[in-house]
Amino acid sequence: MRSHTYLQDIIFYTTQCLTQSAGLLLQLPQSVTAQANVLLARFWLIEPMLSYEFSDTSAATLYLTAKLSSHPVSVRDICNAYTYLWSDSSPLFRRQPSPQQQPPEPTAYTPTDSQKTSFHNRLLSLEARILYTLGFDTHVALPHPLAITYLQALEFFNHSKSEIGSLTIKYLNTALLSPQMLYLTHQPNALAVAAVYNAARDLGAKMPDTSWWEVFDCDREELGFLVVGMRSLEGWVGKMREDGKGVWEEGMVRRKDVEGEMTRRGLLRGNGDKAVDEEEEMARLMDERMATMEAQS
Amino acid sequence: MASKGKSRWAETEEDAELAARQKREKEEKKRMKAEKARRQQEALEAQKAKEATAATQEDGDDGRPVKRRRLSPEASATNGTGEAASNTAPKLLRFNGGGFGKCRSVENYDKLNDIEEGAYGWVARAKELATGKIVALKRLKIDPKDRSGLPVTGLREIQILRDCDHRNVVKLKEVVVGEDTRKIENIFLALEFVEHDLKSILEDMPEPFLASEVKTLLLQLASGVSYLHDHWILHRDLKTSNLLLNNRGQLKIADFGMARYVGDPPPPKLTQLVVTLWYRAPELLLGASRYGAAIDMWSIGCIFGELLTREPLLQGKNEVDELGLIFDLCGVPNEDSWPGFRRLPNARSLRLPSGKDARTAGSAIRVRFPLLTTAGVSLLNGLLALDPEKRPTAKEMLAHEYFRQDPKPKQEAMFPTFPSKAGQERRRRRETPNAPMRGGAAEIGAVDFSGIFTGREREEKGGGFALRMV
Repeated sequence: MRSHTYLQDIIFYTTQCLTQSAGLLLQLPQSVTAQANVLLARFWLIEPMLSYEFSDTSAATLYLTAKLSSHPVSVRDICNAYTYLWSDSSPLFRRQPSPQQQPPEPTAYTPTDSQKTSFHNRLLSLEARILYTLGFDTHVALPHPLAITYLQALEFFNHSKSEIGSLTIKYLNTALLSPQMLYLTHQPNALAVAAVYNAARDLGAKMPDTSWWEVFDCDREELGFLVVGMRSLEGWVGKMREDGKGVWEEGMVRRKDVEGEMTRRGLLRGNGDKAVDEEEEMARLMDERMATMEAQS
Repeated sequence: MASKGKSRWAETEEDAELAARQKREKEEKKRMKAEKARRQQEALEAQKAKEATAATQEDGDDGRPVKRRRLSPEASATNGTGEAASNTAPKLLRFNGGGFGKCRSVENYDKLNDIEEGAYGWVARAKELATGKIVALKRLKIDPKDRSGLPVTGLREIQILRDCDHRNVVKLKEVVVGEDTRKIENIFLALEFVEHDLKSILEDMPEPFLASEVKTLLLQLASGVSYLHDHWILHRDLKTSNLLLNNRGQLKIADFGMARYVGDPPPPKLTQLVVTLWYRAPELLLGASRYGAAIDMWSIGCIFGELLTREPLLQGKNEVDELGLIFDLCGVPNEDSWPGFRRLPNARSLRLPSGKDARTAGSAIRVRFPLLTTAGVSLLNGLLALDPEKRPTAKEMLAHEYFRQDPKPKQEAMFPTFPSKAGQERRRRRETPNAPMRGGAAEIGAVDFSGIFTGREREEKGGGFALRMV
């Protein structure tokens, strides 16, 4: 079972988490960040994951979605947020720092001018690349509003609306991170029904005795699949964390880590183009390393 | 061979039968294929679900349902009703989300001729090589020095056009890019090709549109705008050069470069720099940053006037001049006719004649359009109401008395056709001055032309006889 897909799933999950974290740092509404999650999943369906650095792809989708929404963010803000999340100071995918530990110096996660410029260039070219890959189709319909409407129609008398509503939304947001790519395989109404079902079940709310999901155009088969899919993520993440400690405690997964891992497993077939790419990549990494060292000294 | 009077190429009964049989067979095959695909899909999904369940079982998490049949209360319900329910499968709405994929290359099209090159960028008529279909290729204007990436206006235009499907809104067929895809620099919108734009028709036509034709055009415009507003889209640049007309009399709204999605309540701080000056609503000129669908309705009013006279209605030289022309035509606003207008940013410093001045009190629309029926004047007055709240919505406009009165709107199919400029059809010769004779060039010297057109708008147009076919 340890193969390609295992790595892909980890990359998918961690990058979607990165997008969510950046969305929080940038104070974007979840509707924008969630759309970015969906666009990223679509992009990776067509373009190989290893074509670009994962955090760059995440940044570009978030920038693009924000630009098209009524909450645009500047490239500078995106750059700051991602540099922080990417740096060693970021708590994302790291063991929580002990309280005695000194908070990191701001310089450790402040991008230098050259980093900014190179980030900016990569962001713009990736933005165009993503749009080209998706055929400029940026329409995303999220299930969240539908779920609220369904909840209002259902009326769970014995439970407060806010309690069941927030749990429903949590299920929907969690599903965004799932490597099963539920948002690509299912329509919003089905996702909404499954989230409502899960939330109601967890709280022990009494559901109608009939096949109420059919009212919302979701059949039993579909509902069952999604219910299990949405619930399985937590277990999957737990298992991954146990299995691969290394990946989870050294910060955000990077392309070079994955490539190293793949070479180790003999998954990466060497060919001419790739070698050149790797060289470029190495050069870029060295440049960055130099830049950070300069900044620190 | 064939009987007399019938070509030997004519289809015999056998031919027809053969064709029918082939068609039947084809359909049968298609059906089978679809069925098979469906079954496969189901099997696949079932398996996936099974795997997912298996995975969860493996995880050893006991809190969640392990067997799928436990998910439904229906399974444990009384057998009779359960069976009945499964026999009559409920009809569920299925939504086909379509697919997505990489853009195709612009090389799939063969350029025929340029249509226009202007502020909006470059538009050309082109033929799709595979199908021979004619499209209009519009190039997205990209400023390489712009460090915020692809222009948000262009992206909005694509997004909105992709979401729209209405007969009076121009269709976006696809987005194509330049051949070199390593760097995406050339982006083209392949739009439905429409032969004319209203502006050039108005400029070239020797006689204005008939009343019945004006009604048809306005109805189509209102129905397109009503669709947009129903879908929370503001066009923000309605004008005759953005309205296209095909040879079947169909009007299509184009150029969504200024358009955007809005919500209710409208988002604060919308830009005021929208809509071409001559079609810009007074609240925009007075600096309102909260505005809504009513600004499009004002533009429709200006277009209405232009359709009647073939001349843009309010040709201001700048913002102040435009406001002056508006007050000239529609009257000067006061707290009764437009409550709260004084609170708009640019209105505070505005010095207006006092309300007692009889000449400026009312609207001059009746005088300016002597041939227009009373219902027509009431519609135009409504659209050009200074207070945005008082303008009708597009839906209300569609139901207006004006469109039910005689002359009735002309059928689209009965519309006159025009030579297409974009399609490079030859135009009727217009009377143009001859080329200058040989000899010394005429001296013009310093002449002040600035006053030449003033007062033109106030001229009575017609008034006496109007013998028109409807």
